[in-house]
Amino acid sequence: MRGIVAAGVYVPRFRLEADEIETAWGTSHAAGVDRKAVPAADEDSLTIAVEAVRRALADAALDRSTIGTVAVATTTPPLEEGDFVPRLVRALDLPADVATTTATQHTAAGAEVLARALDANGPAIVVTADCPEGEPADADHPFGAAGAAVVIDDDAPVPIADVAWYSDETPGIRFRERGDRNVDSLGITTYERDAVREAVTSAVSSLAVDTVDAAGVAVHQRDGGFPYRITSELPFSSDAVAAGTVADRIGDAGAATVPVGLLSALDGAGSNDLTVAGFFGGGSAAAIACEGSLTARGIDDLESAAPIDYAAYLRERGYIVDGEVAGGGANVSVPNWQRSLEYRYRLVAGACPNCGGVTFPPEGACQECHARVEYDEFEAPRTGMIRAVTVIGQGGAPPEFASLQQRDGGYAVAIVALETGCGTVTIPAQLTDVDPESVSVGDTVEATVRRIYEQEGVPRYGVKFRPSE
Amino acid sequence: MRDAYVLGAGQSSFGSFPEETYLTLFDDAFDAAMDSVGVSIDPEQIDEAFLGTLGVGGRQIGLSGPAVTEHLGLHGVPTTRVENACAASGYAFRQAVTAVRSGLVDVALAGGYEVMTDASSDHTRWWLGVSGETEWERTSGTTFAGVYAQMASAYMDEYDATVEDLSRVAVKNHGNGARNPKAHLGFECSLEDAVSAPSVADPLNLYHCCPTTDGASAVLVASEDVAREHADELIRVAGSGASSGRVGLFQRESLTSVPATVRAGEDAYEGAGIDPSDLDFAEVHDCFAIAELLAYEDLGFCDRGEAGRLLREGVTDPDGDLPTNTSGGLKSKGHPIGATGTGQIVEAFDQLRGEAHVQVDDPQYGLTHNVGGSGGGVTVHIFEREDGGGVA
Repeated sequence: MRGIVAAGVYVPRFRLEADEIETAWGTSHAAGVDRKAVPAADEDSLTIAVEAVRRALADAALDRSTIGTVAVATTTPPLEEGDFVPRLVRALDLPADVATTTATQHTAAGAEVLARALDANGPAIVVTADCPEGEPADADHPFGAAGAAVVIDDDAPVPIADVAWYSDETPGIRFRERGDRNVDSLGITTYERDAVREAVTSAVSSLAVDTVDAAGVAVHQRDGGFPYRITSELPFSSDAVAAGTVADRIGDAGAATVPVGLLSALDGAGSNDLTVAGFFGGGSAAAIACEGSLTARGIDDLESAAPIDYAAYLRERGYIVDGEVAGGGANVSVPNWQRSLEYRYRLVAGACPNCGGVTFPPEGACQECHARVEYDEFEAPRTGMIRAVTVIGQGGAPPEFASLQQRDGGYAVAIVALETGCGTVTIPAQLTDVDPESVSVGDTVEATVRRIYEQEGVPRYGVKFRPSE
Repeated sequence: MRDAYVLGAGQSSFGSFPEETYLTLFDDAFDAAMDSVGVSIDPEQIDEAFLGTLGVGGRQIGLSGPAVTEHLGLHGVPTTRVENACAASGYAFRQAVTAVRSGLVDVALAGGYEVMTDASSDHTRWWLGVSGETEWERTSGTTFAGVYAQMASAYMDEYDATVEDLSRVAVKNHGNGARNPKAHLGFECSLEDAVSAPSVADPLNLYHCCPTTDGASAVLVASEDVAREHADELIRVAGSGASSGRVGLFQRESLTSVPATVRAGEDAYEGAGIDPSDLDFAEVHDCFAIAELLAYEDLGFCDRGEAGRLLREGVTDPDGDLPTNTSGGLKSKGHPIGATGTGQIVEAFDQLRGEAHVQVDDPQYGLTHNVGGSGGGVTVHIFEREDGGGVA
């Protein structure tokens, strides 16, 4: 039977404690959310997706060239219209002939892409990644961020026994107006809760599988208490609901919350346990039932505790940042950036057939022997050592990075040495997910794909380095 | 190949002059250069001009060289604008020397200019760091100070150098610049000031970084025949070395050396037939404090890792064995990018004629060292005062 063969989770490291929201606003509209995950200024749903898929693939015994489908769900694509899956494909060196799907517009989008992968043939990647935003005074309070990726294939250790759907028009529950970055709801408490409960209950009840004994249940979780309230008419134990609830630790991560909850439950499940997921979004509900257990690489991210205060939170998320710097000077054109993607994402370097030395990027004359050669390209390892480092303090960055700096503060920039079989690749790169003042020559760091900067409306992604895990 | 001589050299004041233009600043430099010639020379004798500028601010990206010479009234003189970042006028000077040595021209004008302080802060930010490697270095978020700070971090790690070692560059160069009326930041600073200044790009602080400066400088290069008719001291270009290097620091074989400086220095010493020990003074490219330390080592003033000791022992102080940056250097005199290279030669010219503000005792040989970017282009020149020549 088709089902999940590998899984990865990524949750940004920052956590905003509920106390911080209470202190800032005098109240918190995030019931049952003890803390929530906060994406760093250089993270978005794409970088979260890249990291989650990278982790899922790390545990999959899979020839990447056989992957036939890549399906993404997010309510917060970096561009409302523009590349998403193709960026994921390039960043992770997936086959160019994969069938692509992007589902968006509601928090049950993950169920749509999962169903698509189950209907497909051969290995399929399904990823949900989300980082919703709302009016900071209220709607934003529970919003977190996370990503979950699974590889779907035949003969799966965690077969997905059934998928069931329910659809009804229930406007005003959770919506975002065209052109607006803020998710809203009308806040008609009883109406909204009853509508979600009815939809989820109907979908779960329609499953062909008897779910009475489910050991884990991950259902729509707009906050930490919501899953218990909307399952009151279903026969689940509160322990089972707790096993699939993650909003208490990462907040409401939009379309990614239920998938992360599902993987959290599967990670802790026994080999014969039944786990149920119940999605809701935009009037649609979907339920799936699966059996067994599975390790989800990165699930420990749920317990991350890198604290952030409320002022830094507003900056980091870009709620109070302008960032535009007018003018013109040094420039890398979009086509020039595009032709360097495999260097920027995958650290492709060149070995010189003449002298054996390495050159990065693998263009122009050899850095060792200065001969003009056709390089033998190879991927450099993603872990290396800092050879030189500095801190670009607040306000001192080149204008392309003004917005990042306003949001995230000073950052460190290093020259990183990556040791390969044929020599040392050196690359200049920004460091992320680290206190810039704490970095020294000799530290070990690993590559991650992040948003580098945005120019003329086009976000550019590439490699940064963070402390090695 | 015949020799080339420095017939005259002069500069505008270096500083922040937002009301000036590159044309008016170069007027001042040109006038000062012409005034320095022992027996005055008719501007019509200038055969060709080579003028360096990065063009910060984008004010006249095309043809600023001819705009300058026409503004000066050097009507019709063939003029080439040279762009090699902070080494623009070091290279312009080399072109002038080559033109004279070749016999093609008898008098060449070399110079440079830059206006850096008249733009809005947003506009300025776009123009700083444009000489760093753009596709990788800049897009990693580094600034120009950041690249030199990376060198400093690697150097301090390799040789256990200290922030005091870096800071002594500022103390020395400000001490010299305070006596130079044309310096941008003509004030002294204490070691304590320099150690405790606010960070710019760790480990470099404000006193480890040169300012952005407006200014211009001009040098007249002439054949021996012309020099013997007009110069009161014969200042010969004894050696001219230049070399290119990888524009990005990450692409180089060393982070604690500027290989192009080593190569340019070797060529200059060989051309002059001297060793570093023969030098009586030097003007080195101290855009950031670490750059002066690396220059000492790359130019053979000391062994690797010994630059800090040279500063501690006062070897490069005005009364030391090898006074360095008696003009105040880029740190105190200022760094109007395109004007810096020939600005250094103004100091060498003044020293060899005994007219410097911080005068070295009876020098015969002086060296100037001009670096573009973080080491993508370097010129090194050695000047010799020839005894018994000139009209004086």
